[in-house]
Order: sequence, then structure tokens, then C-alpha cells
Amino acid sequence: MEMVIVAPPAPGRLEDLRRRFFATPLQAVVSLACLTIMVFLVWKLLNWAVFSAVFTTSGGPEACQATAGACWSVIAARWRIIFFGLYPYEEQWRSALACVAVVVMTVLSCIPAFWTGRRIALVWGAGTGLFYVLMKGGVLGLAHVGEEAWGGLALTLFIFVTTCLIGFPLAICLALLRRSELPWISRTTGLIIDGVRSLPLISILFTFAVVLPFALPQWLQGDKLYRVILGSALFFSAYQAEIVRGGMQGVATGQEEAAMALGMRYWQRISRILLPQAMRNAMPATINQFVISFKETSLVVIVGFFEILASGNAAYGTGEWRFAYVEVYAFIAFIYFIFVFSLSRYGAFLERRMSVSER
Amino acid sequence: MVSLLRNQKVRNALLQVLYVGSIAAMVLAGIVIARRNLADQGITSGFDFLFKSTGWDVNFSLLPATANDPYWWYFLIGIINTLFLGSVGLILATIVGTIVGLARTSSNDLARLLGRTYVDIFRNIPLILQVFFWYAIITHLPTPRSAHEAWGFLLTSRGLYIPFPNVGSAAFAAATVAVIAAIVLPAWLGRTSLLAQPIGQRRTIQFAAAAAALACATIILALGRLPDTPLLDFPALQGLNLRGGLRIPPEFATLAIAIAIYGGSYIAEIVRGGFKSVGTGQVEAALSLGLSPWRVFTLVRLPLALRAMLPILANQYVWLMKATTMGIAVGFTDFFMIVALTINHSGQTLEAIGILMAGFLAINLSLAAVFNRINKAIALKGNQLRG
Amino acid sequence: MISTNSTGEPALRIENLDKYYGTFQALRGINLSVQRGEKIVVCGPSGSGKSTMIRCINRLEQHNGGRIAVLGTELNDDVGNIDEIRREVGMVFQHFNLFPHMTVLENCMISPMIVRKQPRAQAEATARHYLEKVRIPEQAMKYPSQLSGGQQQRVAIARALCMQPQIMLFDEPTSALDPEMVSEVLDVMVTLASEGMTMICVTHEMGFARRVADRVLFMDGGEILEEAPPDEFFTSSRNERTRQFVSQVLGH
Repeated sequence: MEMVIVAPPAPGRLEDLRRRFFATPLQAVVSLACLTIMVFLVWKLLNWAVFSAVFTTSGGPEACQATAGACWSVIAARWRIIFFGLYPYEEQWRSALACVAVVVMTVLSCIPAFWTGRRIALVWGAGTGLFYVLMKGGVLGLAHVGEEAWGGLALTLFIFVTTCLIGFPLAICLALLRRSELPWISRTTGLIIDGVRSLPLISILFTFAVVLPFALPQWLQGDKLYRVILGSALFFSAYQAEIVRGGMQGVATGQEEAAMALGMRYWQRISRILLPQAMRNAMPATINQFVISFKETSLVVIVGFFEILASGNAAYGTGEWRFAYVEVYAFIAFIYFIFVFSLSRYGAFLERRMSVSER
Repeated sequence: MVSLLRNQKVRNALLQVLYVGSIAAMVLAGIVIARRNLADQGITSGFDFLFKSTGWDVNFSLLPATANDPYWWYFLIGIINTLFLGSVGLILATIVGTIVGLARTSSNDLARLLGRTYVDIFRNIPLILQVFFWYAIITHLPTPRSAHEAWGFLLTSRGLYIPFPNVGSAAFAAATVAVIAAIVLPAWLGRTSLLAQPIGQRRTIQFAAAAAALACATIILALGRLPDTPLLDFPALQGLNLRGGLRIPPEFATLAIAIAIYGGSYIAEIVRGGFKSVGTGQVEAALSLGLSPWRVFTLVRLPLALRAMLPILANQYVWLMKATTMGIAVGFTDFFMIVALTINHSGQTLEAIGILMAGFLAINLSLAAVFNRINKAIALKGNQLRG
Repeated sequence: MISTNSTGEPALRIENLDKYYGTFQALRGINLSVQRGEKIVVCGPSGSGKSTMIRCINRLEQHNGGRIAVLGTELNDDVGNIDEIRREVGMVFQHFNLFPHMTVLENCMISPMIVRKQPRAQAEATARHYLEKVRIPEQAMKYPSQLSGGQQQRVAIARALCMQPQIMLFDEPTSALDPEMVSEVLDVMVTLASEGMTMICVTHEMGFARRVADRVLFMDGGEILEEAPPDEFFTSSRNERTRQFVSQVLGH
């Protein structure tokens, strides 16, 4: 016997659209409202950013003032100060290269093959070292450029990377101390972590930049930049420590017992058994913390550093480009967006992948 | 000696003493050095300065403030400013976040896309950049002479002017309390004393309570109204300046807008997560009982989602409260800026930092306490539902 | 075989052992002496303290009173002694506790390498030898999550053996296993016993106890109520509680 299968008539394009957006009167209203908002915004944005915008510097600021659109010539004229701050003009290729080094380092550390303590330390050590040598110079025939001349994107990245580099090991130490069986150690550490977490980052940066010099002997004061990095690392580590501790709580107690029964000492248990598993558990939350702390590096502008936000202020703040603040902020926002968005997408991807592999 | 070090108990004791001791030593050394350094600059430690007059002004205060006021009064102003800005930002952010979050969980693809775009854009740009951006926009608004005007609202570079009732400040404060009571009272009544009553009576009593509180507010406003003035005071141009209405300074407006938009994007995600955590089974069960979609939403999805959201929301609120310290970027005298100014002007560095820490600790702890209570109340309700 | 006539230091000597959790007394005056090569099976209802007792032997739990001496080394607060004892005492857990982030081979190699400081090649040879012995040499490069419960438990035994311990502790090694996997683990344990390993097993596998044990201990309420060779234990126990327990375990 032969079966004849009659396919139901395929719903047409229009029918499909109707079902998705106009199924009920309420749906229709919502759809239309959203569509109107979207068309309006997209049109406004395109009109401002593309159709009526001025892109070249040839006309100077005057050409911009004649149009209602965006004045991208401010970026064309001032991109160097936004990216490099006050870094010497002839040496700015070094600053660019240093930024590339940090980006490569970040991308590498997102690859699972690098997720062992030694490899990740190697990548970050090499990346930061390269960045520092390129920026500071004084060796390999590179002219010396002091930290006070660093600025723009490079300074933002430097503060971020060093914050993580100091903050991450510190976070692990704090997490271990907090879960210590010795009551006084865990209590004191808990007090420090909770204390730092209850304070706003700005107040910590301010304390480290302005107040700390009073409380330190002369020889310990160091450069203001490094004090601020230390403060920011402390803040980072207080949050990251709780994330690491959460990851440790996710490791079965039997794991440590098995390691003990095999005769491993404390550090062997921690480094070979506990941490590798805990860090894996804590990975999505850790990336989220990196995202947050990258955004928060922008706060150093308040204690007077010339990072990308401050250099943006300078880019439009002086003289003829005074009117072009929206364009400059939009440009900086775009730079932040690229970094933060891709990192947080990656975190979300990782979280999905991990929750799938758990099943 | 060596064998003593191999003893676990001795080792543990030694480690603890060393750890706590070295931290205490560092803190103490810092304080001693700081006191000596400050003394060299002629600044004596102690809290006497709290009672000296400051000699400088604050640009925003809900309390009367002059340069003759003592420092302790300024700290109080700072805390109140922080709490006020924080609460306004928090409420606005919650409204924005709820709308966007609902859009993100909507069944309509366009609404979801719109919500997602919003979250992706505003979450991924640092708050301080957004603060700078809005501040630049607001301070580049036209001067009062050529202000944008709409429905009695004026947008100018000197701030936003809105119509305001002609009442004394004490009466206004009392009326605000009454309005808050009108919102809180019915909820509180519903939770505690009325549970034994049938639901119809409960509704009536709740409604009556709200109405009574609102009536109180109206009476207070009517009594407190300044003599010989219209009910609402509209801002208007007089000479080169604007008179009348309520002026919201650009700094405050900037921060409130920035916190609302940025915080809104985070709260939207929390709202979305909350609704996502409500199992489809529960919704289907409710629908199969013949409840209308609206009742399913208010009776099943919303209460369950709220319970899932609250702990995370509490953390977010604490974060938003701390974000008011961005005030220093635009010159809004929040608690932190008052502390920074105090250090600048009086040099009482250690004391001011101590007060700063104590202040934020108090704010955090009280917020945490409030949310713990709400959490407990909700959890209790959950048990009743189950039992 | 008679268990009390060997000369020299016993493998394990426990005297008047007490253990408290807060105010709850988990062990009351335990006395036990185990000779080298002896196999002890410990049974008893849950909560009777049997796990606690063997966990005290390698200091996973700290005892509050009495003395424990393992291979002549006193187990006290001396960190060196604890390390020494843990090196010589292997343990197998109910839930295997394999390290999920390492392959089977790495699980077996890590401890000899970092604790005994063996070179990699030697550690690998030892590991492969013991994996052969527990009959899963072909799984060496897999991760624990890819193995069945029985296979995992055999890996756990191999891992403990790689440290070449003189005493093996088994803490209910088969109770987390599906019934069809119990025998493959017990077979390995029987082989191990026949080679003369000193073993202390907490288990309810009475068939295993009959075949292997020199002595069976019955514990309840933190005390050892009965101690007898298996034949006597199963047939002519003097203690009422023991008889009841035996009939329950053998009853089904």
C-alpha cells in the first residue's frame, strides 16, 4: 500500500509575520510602538552619525558647525591624544604596539589551552613585561619615557592589567585565608574583605592617592600611579576573593580528604587539587569581574590621571573643538564598548558551555 | 625548638599571632606615622574640628547650610545628599529596569530586540563616562533666556526647572512621609494583622488606610500652603534669571539620569533573570486553571520572580548607593565629596577617612538590614503558600 | 591464621580512643590492635562511628583522647609524624574522590611524584603496573567522569596503591556502587588481601568478610561491641545487638 503524505499548505511570509507580531490587538500595538521607536532612533542616529556628518578635517571646525550631523573630524584631528595622551609624538608607535600586546595577551588567555596556572602566569607575565618595556623604554635602544607621560588608552590598559596581575594572586590568598580553619585568621581576613567591599572604589582610590602618603614612611611612598594601582588591586581582590571562595565551595570536600590521605601537604593540596577545580567553577563570575573592573579603571580620572576618559576631555576641551563633546564621548564609549562587550559575550558563552557540560 | 615548630597546635597558634599581629602592627604604624606627619604640618589629631565652622559652601543641600555651620552638620548634609540622590537614582533605575526587563522577557520579538539593545549599550559603557556625557549635554543646554519649555518644565544649562506646589518645606516633608505611608501601609497591613480576615474585607481596610494617608497628605499641603500664592508655582523668566518653580541643579540631574540609565540596564537583567527562573510548569498550571494571562502574571509569575530577584537586587541597590560617589566628578556635594573637601580645607585626614568608612558601613548595613527583613517577609509568605 | 602471635610492633595500635563532635561523643574508649598482614572488617549500623574510627587513623579526623600508633609512629600533633603516617597508609573512599581534572594515569602519578619525589618515568611505570593489577590498563588516558562507578573505584584503589602503602583503609568502598559493579571491586580487594596487605575495611559485604577477614568488628554507639573471627561472628555471636544486625544484613 502506498501512503500519500499531503503537506499542510506552508504558511506564507505574510501569515508568518501576522502570527509573530499581530496575533492579538495588544501584540499589534506593542509591535507597532516598538517598530516606530526603532525606526525613529535608527533614522536619527544614522542621519546624525553618517548622512549629515562631516568626516574630514579639511574644512576644520567651521565645516562642522554648518551641519546638524556629527563632526567626526574632531576624531580625525585628535585621535592621537585620545589613544596616546601626552606620549611623545615620535614614540607613539610604541604605545600602539603595547596596546596590541595587551589585546593579544587577553585573547590568548581566553583559550582553554592556556588555562593552567603556569601558562596563564607566563602569558600575563610576558604580555605585561612587553607592554612595560615598550612603554617605558630605556633599553634596546628605545628612548626612556616616564610614567608621567603615559596616557590615553595605553594608560587605561596598563592600570587594568596591573590591577588584575596584582589583584588576582591577592584574591586567591585572601580566599584561602578566609576559609582557613584557624578562627583568628579567617575572621581578620573576613573583616578586611567585607570592609573593602563596603567602600566605594572612588574613596579607596582617593585614600591611596592622597591620604596614604601621610601614613607611609618616605621610602615606601612610591609613585602615585603605583599607589592607585595598588588600591584598585585591593578593591578588585576583595571582590574576586569572594568569587574564588565560591568556586572553592563548589569543590567536593572529598577532594581535599583524598589529597590528604595521599600524603599531600597543604600547598600541594591547594595548588594541585583545590585551585584548579575552584578556578574552573569560578570562571564565568571571574570574567564578569574582569569586565566590571575594566569599566572601573575609568574612575582613576577622578584622582587626576590622564587615561582615555581624561584625554577625551582634553581632546574637545581645548580651543576650537569645544562644541564636539558628543562625538568624542561617543568615540570613547565605542572603544570601551568593543572591549567590554566582547569580553562579556565571551563570559556568557563560557557560562553556557559549562552549564551544558555539567549535564 | 625545632620539635616545637613541628607541633601542629604550636604552629597554628604562632601563625594566627603572626598574621593578626602583623596586620595590627601595619595599621598602627600607619596611624602613628600619619599623626606625626600631620602634627608637623600643625594639625592636631582629634575630633574637635567637628565643632568648628567650615568656612566653605555646599552647592546642594536639603537642610539649611551656610559657611558658618560646623563640620558635623556638613557631614550630616553629605549623608543626606547621598541617601537622597541614591534613593532617587534607585527608584528611577528600578522603573527603567522593570520596563526594559519586561521588554526583554516579552513574547514580542521587536520588544525583546529593543530591550536587548538598551542593555547591551548602557551596560557596557562605564558609568563615569555616562556621567560626563550627560553633564556635558546638560551644561550645553541653552541659557535661561532661550530655555526649552514644555508643560511648564524648563530645560536650561543652569538646571531643570519644574512646577512646584507653594508650600513650606516642613509641610512638604510631612506630606512626602504621608504619601510614602499611603504606599507602605496597605502592604504592611496585608502582611500582618489582617491575614485572618476574609479577602474582601482585607482589601477594604487596605484601601481605607491608603486613602486616609493620602487625605492626610492633602490636608498637610493645604495647611502648609504659603499665603496669597497660587497652588502650583511655575518657573518663569524674570530679567536674566528664572524665578519660581523648583530648580534641579545640573549636577543632581546628571547623576540621577546616569544612575537611572546605567543602573536600569543592570536591574533589567536581574528582572529578566527573575522571570526566567519561574518554571514554565507553574505558568502552565495557572493557565490550565483558567486564569487570565493578567492574573497569571500578577498572581504567579510576578510573586515568584520577585522572590528570586530580591537578594540580587539588594546587592545592586547597595552598589547604586555607592555609585553616588561619582558626584565628585561633576561637583555634587555627596558624602564622599564633603569628606574630600574636609581633608582639603581642615587637613583632618585620618578623622575624615574614619568618618567616611563609618558612614558607608552604616549605609550598607542599614540597607542590608532592610532587605533582609523584606526577604524574610517574602520567604515566610512562601512557606504559607506551601503549607 | 591466628592474629595475635606475631612479634614486633603491630601495624596499628589504638588505645582508649575518644572522639567528640561538639558535645556528641562519636567514639568511646576504642581499643584495637592490628598486626601486619591482618585483615579487619568493621561493620555496624550507620552512625555507629566506624567511619570516624578509620578516619582517625590517618588524621582526617582528629581524636580527642587516647592514643593511636601506626607502624610504631605515634599519631599526635607532630606535623612530621602525620605526614609520615599518611604516606604509609592508603585510603579508599565511598565516593571514590578521584581528581576530576586529571586523567586516570595522572590521578595515580601525582602523589608519588610530589610526595615521594619519584621521577616521572618511575611514577608512570608504577601507575601502569597497578592499573594493570586492578584490570583497567586501557583506561589510563581517560578522565574519571568517563568511567563507570566500579571502574572509578578500582582506579581509586590503584591510586592509593601507587604510594606503596603498608596499610590500606577502605571506607565503605562498595556502598555507592550499582549492584552489578560491586563484585569487580571486591575481586580486586580479595586479590589484594591474598598478597598479604594489611587491610581495615568498613563494609557491609558479609560474603567478603567471610572470605577475607581475620577478624570482624561490630560497632554501635561509638563502641566496639564484638570482635571475633568471621565464622564465630556470623554463627555464634554472644551479643544480642550483633545477632540482630547480622540477621538484618544477611536476611535479604
